[in-house]
Amino acid sequence: MSRENQIAEEAAGWIDRLNQPAFDAAAGPNFDAWMAASPRHRDVFADLQALWQSEALVEALGQAGRAPITAPAPPEPGNRFRRTWATAPRLAAAACAMLLAIMLILPIVSTSTYRSGAGKFRSVVLADGSRVDLSSDTELRVRILPWERTATLVRGEAFFDVHHEGVRAFRVTSGTTSVRVLGTAFNVDRQSPTRTAVSVYRGAVEVGVDGAANLVVRKGDGARVVDGHVVAQPRIAEGAPDWKSGWFEASDIPLGVLIGKVQRYSARPILLQDRSLQALPISGRFHIADTDRALQAVQAAYHVEVAYGPKTISIRPGARAEDH
Amino acid sequence: MPASPHQIESLAGEPPAEDWRAIAATLGRYVRARTNRADVAEDVVQETLSRLVHQSRLQKLVSIYALGFRIAANLLVDHHRRDSRYVAEREEEPASQAPLPDRVLVGRQELAILNDALAAMPPLRRDVLVRRRLQGQSCAAIARDLGLSPKAVEKHITRGLADLHKAMPGNAVMRGGER
Repeated sequence: MSRENQIAEEAAGWIDRLNQPAFDAAAGPNFDAWMAASPRHRDVFADLQALWQSEALVEALGQAGRAPITAPAPPEPGNRFRRTWATAPRLAAAACAMLLAIMLILPIVSTSTYRSGAGKFRSVVLADGSRVDLSSDTELRVRILPWERTATLVRGEAFFDVHHEGVRAFRVTSGTTSVRVLGTAFNVDRQSPTRTAVSVYRGAVEVGVDGAANLVVRKGDGARVVDGHVVAQPRIAEGAPDWKSGWFEASDIPLGVLIGKVQRYSARPILLQDRSLQALPISGRFHIADTDRALQAVQAAYHVEVAYGPKTISIRPGARAEDH
Repeated sequence: MPASPHQIESLAGEPPAEDWRAIAATLGRYVRARTNRADVAEDVVQETLSRLVHQSRLQKLVSIYALGFRIAANLLVDHHRRDSRYVAEREEEPASQAPLPDRVLVGRQELAILNDALAAMPPLRRDVLVRRRLQGQSCAAIARDLGLSPKAVEKHITRGLADLHKAMPGNAVMRGGER
């Protein structure tokens, strides 16, 4: 193999490693040393990285991908590889296991889970200095890695005051919704598996669905993601999030979502007895931390009846609902 | 914070100025390959360097080159976004790794060269590249789907990329050691 070919392959090897989801920290100095070794290394790597990320390559691969793909019965080069592993299957397996270990173990050991109980708030400071306030009945998984910070809102609602770092972004995911920032304060409310509300109190964030960047939300504004669609909500964030004082400002949201929020504070399950109630649009300001008061307010303003059982609370359509 | 060589040299424990020049030249080459706009390229390189200097003062970097390429890629995306729609002054910049959404027209010539190079590859290698770059599959998943070892997948990717690189104009085609 010519020297030039060798450099290209080494550079390609680094490109592949750099584009893995987890870049092995131990490989960093080796990569820098390789780059420092020769200007030709640096040039070829720069060219290849630009090529790898280029739209032209995506386009060309798209056209190639549409062409009929041959079955995995490779002609000449494949056989060559097959011979190679026949002689060293154990080595390959060991290398594979090690790579896997690095990629799997590091993320696992650096993941922490925080939970708050029903009716309880909890404030935590993360390893990077960011502060997170968990609302009632909330679960958050946080992973701080040398190259990224991610938090997954499993359920509930949380307020993030993200420690500013110029490079390492902070990402919060809730279902398919993701919020990316460098340093700012914002609230994420997982209202249901397919519904998430975001409001920004300082700085700006980018709200996306399924990995695609979608909408930049600035200080004072919010966004709602419902079933994969992002809707901007101007001027809804002021001071501190409502939940910190136990309130919730509903503007045209389904009753099911409001009840979900009241439920976070209630030890007794709240049941919606009629499917049509689930989607009933509700507006108003509710003291969700006080279950009775919140349900009374709903009962007073809408045609629903709240019944307190020994173990559950049920909500039914109001007696006169059919007359309307 | 502009990263002048003077500032950079003034701190101990950092890469010496020659290294910064190499880093700047390398990032410049990468950025210019990704955008046709000279002003954007200049901005992106300057900003990347100043962030690198800043970061290297805050902490020991795992890899200054890896970080540099990542910052530059993000800044390129930001620039394109700023160009493509009105964006008010930001207090903080959201980061993004999304591909450039509306990179002008892909050079027809570049595309034709890549098409030819891909067509000339063994089909399996082409398939591996499509899966890795286009479909974002992990090496492990590709190995499983195609019945290859992870090592073989890695080889296909590196050789495939090297083939593509060789095909691009200006890269001396040395047919010395054909495989």
